[in-house]
Amino acid sequence: MTYSLAVDIGGTFTDIVLRNDAGALTVDKTLTTHHDLLEGFFHGVHSVLSKAAIDPNNVDGVVVHATTVVTNALIERKGQPTAMVTTEGFRDVLFIRNEHRYEMYDPQIEFPEPLVPQELTFSIAERTLADGRIMAKPAEKDIASLVSQLKASGAKAVAICFLNSFANPENERQVATALRQALPDLFICTSSDVAPQIREYPRASTTTVNAYTMPISQPYLKRLSERLETEGFANTPLIMLSSGGVVGAETAGRNPVRMIESGPAAGALAACHYAELLKIDRLMSFDMGGTTAKACLIENRVPLVTGLFEVDRRYRFKDGSGLPVTVPSIDMIEIGAGGGSIAHVDDLGLLKVGPESAGSMPGPACYGRGGANPTVTDADLMLGLIDADNFLGGDMKLDRPAMQKAFDRLAGELKLSPVEAARGIYRVVTEAMASAARAHATDRGIDYRGLPLFAFGGAGPLHACGVAALLQSASVIVPPQSSVLSAFGTLVTPVRLDLVRSDLGRLNDLDWDRVNRILGELTKEATEALAEAGCAPQDVRFEFGADMRYVGQQHEVPVTFEADPRSNHDISGIASRFETAYRTLYGVTPSHVGIEIVTWRVTARGPLVPFKAPANAASKAAAPKRHRTVHAWEDNQQVAVYARADLAVGQKTEGPAIIEERETTTALPPGWSAVIDSYGCIVATKG
Amino acid sequence: MDPVELEILWSNLIGIVTERSKALQRIAFSPIVREAGDLACALFDRRGRMVAQANTGTPGHINSLAFAGAHLVKLFDGKCEPGDVLITNDPWLSAGHFFDITLLTPIYDGDKILAYIGSTIHHTDIGGYGIGAGARDVHEEGLWIPPLKFYERGVPNAVLHAMIGRNVRTPDAVFGDLAAQVSSGHAAADHLIALCRRHGLEDIETLSDEIIARSEEATRAAIRKLKPGVYHGESQFDVPGGEIITLKTALTVDTDKGSITVDFDGSSMQTSTGINVVLNYTHAYSTFAIRSCLNPELPNNTGSLAPIEIKAPEGSIVNCRYPAPVNARHVVGMYVPMPILKALYQVMPERVLAEGSGAVWTMQIQGKKADGNAFTSSMFNYSGGMGARATKPGPSATCYPTGVAAVPIEILEAAMPIVFDRKELRRGSGGQGRTAGGDGQIIQFRLLTDAPWLLNAVPSRLGQGPDGIGGGAAGQKGVFQVNGRDVSEPRKLTMQPEDVVLLETPGGGGFGSSNY
Repeated sequence: MTYSLAVDIGGTFTDIVLRNDAGALTVDKTLTTHHDLLEGFFHGVHSVLSKAAIDPNNVDGVVVHATTVVTNALIERKGQPTAMVTTEGFRDVLFIRNEHRYEMYDPQIEFPEPLVPQELTFSIAERTLADGRIMAKPAEKDIASLVSQLKASGAKAVAICFLNSFANPENERQVATALRQALPDLFICTSSDVAPQIREYPRASTTTVNAYTMPISQPYLKRLSERLETEGFANTPLIMLSSGGVVGAETAGRNPVRMIESGPAAGALAACHYAELLKIDRLMSFDMGGTTAKACLIENRVPLVTGLFEVDRRYRFKDGSGLPVTVPSIDMIEIGAGGGSIAHVDDLGLLKVGPESAGSMPGPACYGRGGANPTVTDADLMLGLIDADNFLGGDMKLDRPAMQKAFDRLAGELKLSPVEAARGIYRVVTEAMASAARAHATDRGIDYRGLPLFAFGGAGPLHACGVAALLQSASVIVPPQSSVLSAFGTLVTPVRLDLVRSDLGRLNDLDWDRVNRILGELTKEATEALAEAGCAPQDVRFEFGADMRYVGQQHEVPVTFEADPRSNHDISGIASRFETAYRTLYGVTPSHVGIEIVTWRVTARGPLVPFKAPANAASKAAAPKRHRTVHAWEDNQQVAVYARADLAVGQKTEGPAIIEERETTTALPPGWSAVIDSYGCIVATKG
Repeated sequence: MDPVELEILWSNLIGIVTERSKALQRIAFSPIVREAGDLACALFDRRGRMVAQANTGTPGHINSLAFAGAHLVKLFDGKCEPGDVLITNDPWLSAGHFFDITLLTPIYDGDKILAYIGSTIHHTDIGGYGIGAGARDVHEEGLWIPPLKFYERGVPNAVLHAMIGRNVRTPDAVFGDLAAQVSSGHAAADHLIALCRRHGLEDIETLSDEIIARSEEATRAAIRKLKPGVYHGESQFDVPGGEIITLKTALTVDTDKGSITVDFDGSSMQTSTGINVVLNYTHAYSTFAIRSCLNPELPNNTGSLAPIEIKAPEGSIVNCRYPAPVNARHVVGMYVPMPILKALYQVMPERVLAEGSGAVWTMQIQGKKADGNAFTSSMFNYSGGMGARATKPGPSATCYPTGVAAVPIEILEAAMPIVFDRKELRRGSGGQGRTAGGDGQIIQFRLLTDAPWLLNAVPSRLGQGPDGIGGGAAGQKGVFQVNGRDVSEPRKLTMQPEDVVLLETPGGGGFGSSNY
C-alpha cells in the first residue's frame, strides 16, 4: 500500500489528508500554531498516521504542503530588515509607485508602507538599455563600498532591482555574485530571477516581497525537510505555489513570493479535479468562509491564472491599494462576504452587509462571545437554515437569545420584522456575491451564465443555490471532505512550474535566435526545478504562451500557443490565437493594427497523478432525521433535515431541504433537487 | 420601496455600469484611458436623469457626463428608434474638449425606451492641432461632432463615419475605441433588461425616483450639519508661457435649503491659449472637491449632485465662451478644487487637504529612431506632491485631483530612444507644517538620437509653489530646464540631439503651523 500526505496550514486551521492508493482518505483538522507552524503540522500528521495505524516510513508517496507562512509574514510585517539595491538615480521606485490614487474620492487616502525603508535603499552606478545593451557596468570599487554599507546596515536580505534587467540580467548577476562572496549569510535575490518582466515598479515590488520573506521561508522549509527525514518519511516535501504548481522545497525557498496564495490555489485545484471526474469542462468554484468568499473560474478543467495580484491591501477589497506582485497566480476574486459579515443600515436607509466582519472574535452574535451586531450566520440561524444545537456537530452551542437581541435594533431601523430583516441579509449577501462573481467573469470575457457552482467552505453550500440562481445557473456541486478540500487539492496536482520573461518584439519581425535562446533558458530552468521535485526530464510536458497586445496598447492579453513556437515559427497561428483571445475578452478585433509580444510564458508539468476515487459506502436511502421550521423562502415552512452521511448514492432529495454535516450545511431551496453521485458529491439541480 | 429590494436593485445598476466601464478601460487604445481611467460610464432614466454611475473614472469626466446625457435625451426626445446610438464631442455640452467623445444608447425593451446608457472616453486623436494648448481658437483644435446619430436603427451612419475617418490621424484607434463604446452600450442594455425581468420591473422610473430622492435628501442632510455662511478661497498658479491665473471662489453653505453654491466671480478671464475651461468641466471638478470632503461614500447621481450649484461669470477662464480654444483645459481644470478646498477648510478642516502640485506635467516627444523612422510618443505625465492633511502628510509623487498613473520608464525606453538619468523624490520639497506636504520628483531624460526632436511639455507652478493651509508652509515651486536653463514656453520646443531635460515637480503645501 502506498500512502501520500498533504498538509495545508491556513490562518485558523491546519488540515491534514492522508490518502492510500485505493483512494481511502484519513483526515484531521487541528488549530494552526502561529508561534511555530511546524508544531501544528506534525501534531496533525501524527494524528492521521495513528488513525490509519501506520508509521512515517509507510508514507512512500508524496508529501505536499501548502502554507500561509509567507502571507502571515507580509501582513504582520514581522520579517527581518530587508535592503534593496537600485540603479543610481532610481532609488525611490517603491515610494513613487505608479503615482496613481486607487481611490479617487478619498482625500485621506493612504498607501502601504514599502517593505524596504529609505535608509535600507542603496544605489549603484550602472545602466542597461531597453534592448539589453549595457551602457555602464557596475565598478568594482562601488561594489566594495556597497558591501560595507550593507554590512553596516544590519540587513538580513537584499533585493537587487536594476532598470531593464529583464532584458539582460548581467549587471544584477555581477553584483549578486560579489555580494554572495562577501556576505555569505545575506539572503540575496535579483529581479531578473524573481520576476523578469518589464515595468520597474511591479518588478521591484515583487522582488522585495521575495527578499523580505526569504529569511523566513528558507529556514522553515529546511527545518521541515530535515524533520520529515528524521521521522522516516521517504520523500522530501513538495510545496504548493499560488499558480497551482507544485515544486521542491529548495526551489520554493528561493521563490517564497510564489507561495503566497498556496492554500486558496489548492482549493481551486480540487475543483478542477472534480471537473475532471465529473467530466464538466467549465465551472465556478465558490468558497465562502467566515470573513470572505472566494470565486475562481475553471475553463477546460483548468483554473484561470493571472500574472498580477496584490498583497497587504490598505483597503481590503480595493484594486491598487496593496503591494503589486507579478508572479503567476490562480485568478481568484475575494469578496467581503462571509458568515461573520456584519449587517447595518446606511445613511440612505438601505440594508448593507459587510465588508466589516465580526471575525472569529467576537464572531457572530450567536457565538455568544459578545458580538452585538447581526451577521450572515446570525441571519442563517434566525431563518432556521442552521441549527443552534448542531453547529460543528453539536460541539459548539449557538446562543439563540443573543442572536435575537442583535436583530432587534436592525429590524427597528429597517421597519421590518426580525425574520424579514434576516431574509434581507440572506438576499443582500447572496446578491453581493453574485454581482462580484459576475463582474469578475465579465472582466475576463467569460460568460458566467449557466456555469455550475462548486461550493465549499463553512458557509458556501448554504448560499450556493441562491448565488447560482442569480448567475442563471441551475447546478451546484458540493464535494465530500469539503472542510479539508485545499489539502485534498494538493494531492491531486501534478508538479508544475510557470516561468515568464519579458522581451518586446513585433510578431511579424521577431528575432527567432533571441526567442529560441529565451525559451531554451526557460525550459531548462523549469526542467531542473521539476527534477528537484522528482520528475524525470522525459516526463516533463511544456506549454508555451505569451502576453500579447496590439501595438499602441498598454494592457496585454495572455495567450496559450498550440505548440512549441520554436519548431515551426508559426506566426499566423500565434496571431490567430491572440485574435481569438482578444475577441473573447472584448468582442471586437481592430483591423490593420500590428501585434506585439511583451512577455514569453512557459509552463512545465509533470505526469498526471493517478487517482482512484474513494469507494463510497452506499447504504439504503435515508429518511430525514427530522423536520424544522425554516423562514428562508417563506414563513414557517416545515423543511426536511438530512444527515449527509446517511444519504445513499443515487438518492434523490427534493427541496426545500437541509443537508447537514459536521462542518457545513447545504441548503436546497424550493424548486431544487439533489442526488448523491458515485464520488459522494451532492449534485443539486434547479427545475 | 422596501430597503432590501432597493439596495439590491441599486447595487445592481451600479454594478452594470461599473462592469462596462472596466471593460472599456481594458480595451481602449487611448493610453490615457487605459492608464488613467480617463472615462465615464452612466445610466440615465427616460427623463434623462443620471441614476447610476460607474465607480471608476476621473473627476473631469464622471460628472460632466451627467450633463451631456441629460442634454442628448432632451434633444432627441421622440426622435430615437431601436438600434440608434447618439454621439457628440461638443466641448460645451460634454467634457470640455474635442478629444472626449460621448456616446449615448437608448435601451429598448420591445418598442419602448427603458433607459439610456452613456459613456465618455478620451480618444487618441481628433485631428486639428493635436495635443497641446497652441491653437488660436476651438476650430483649429480638431473635428467638432455636433449631437448626431452615430448608428441609425442598428446601421452605422455612413456619412458621419466617413467624416470622422478622414479627419483624425489614427482612424483605427478612434474607430476601435468608438466600437468598444457601442458594444459596451449593447452589453449594458442586455444586463439591464435581464435585471428588470428578474424583478418584474416595467421600467426604472419608480426606482430612479427613489434613488434620486434619497441621494438628494442625504446630501442636503449632510450640508445641514455644516456651519452656515459664505466662505472664500483663492488660488493662483502660473501656466506655460508664464501667465498667472487666479481662481476665486465664494462658497455659500445654506443650511435652510441644504445647499452649497460656489461662485467663481473674480476669477481670471478666458485667455488666448487652449487652457480655457467650459462650465461643465468646472462643475465636474467643483462637485468632485465638495463631495469628496462632504459625503464621498454616497453614489454619484442627479440627486446627490442637485444640492450643489456652480456659477462662474461668462467669459471667465472657468466658463469660457465660444470660440475660445479649450484643448488643454485640464491644465486649469485640475486647479479648480484648490480654492474650494481653502473655503471648505473654514467649515470642515479635518477633511480637506492643502494645495498640491495641481495639474500633472504632460510630455510628448516626436523624433527619429536610429533606423531613421519618425516616431510620435504617447502622452506621458508626472505628478508632484499632494497637499498635507489634518492628521497625515501629503503623499509624495501622487497625482491629485486627477487619477493619472505614470507610464513606467521601461515602457517608455522600449517604445522610443529615450534614456532616463534619474527619477527620484525631490526630498524636502513638500511644505513644512504640523503635517508636511508630499514631495515632488526630480526627473532627468535625454534622447539617443542624431536628429533634432520636438518636445511638447506642459509644466505648471514654475513661478510659485502650492500654498500651505492653516499656517503650513508652501511647497517648493517647479523647475523646468533644458541644459540647465529655465524654460517657460506654451508651444512645442525644438530640441538638439544632445539636449538634457530636467523636471522638478512641485511639492505639496503643509498643513497647520509646525510650531503648534
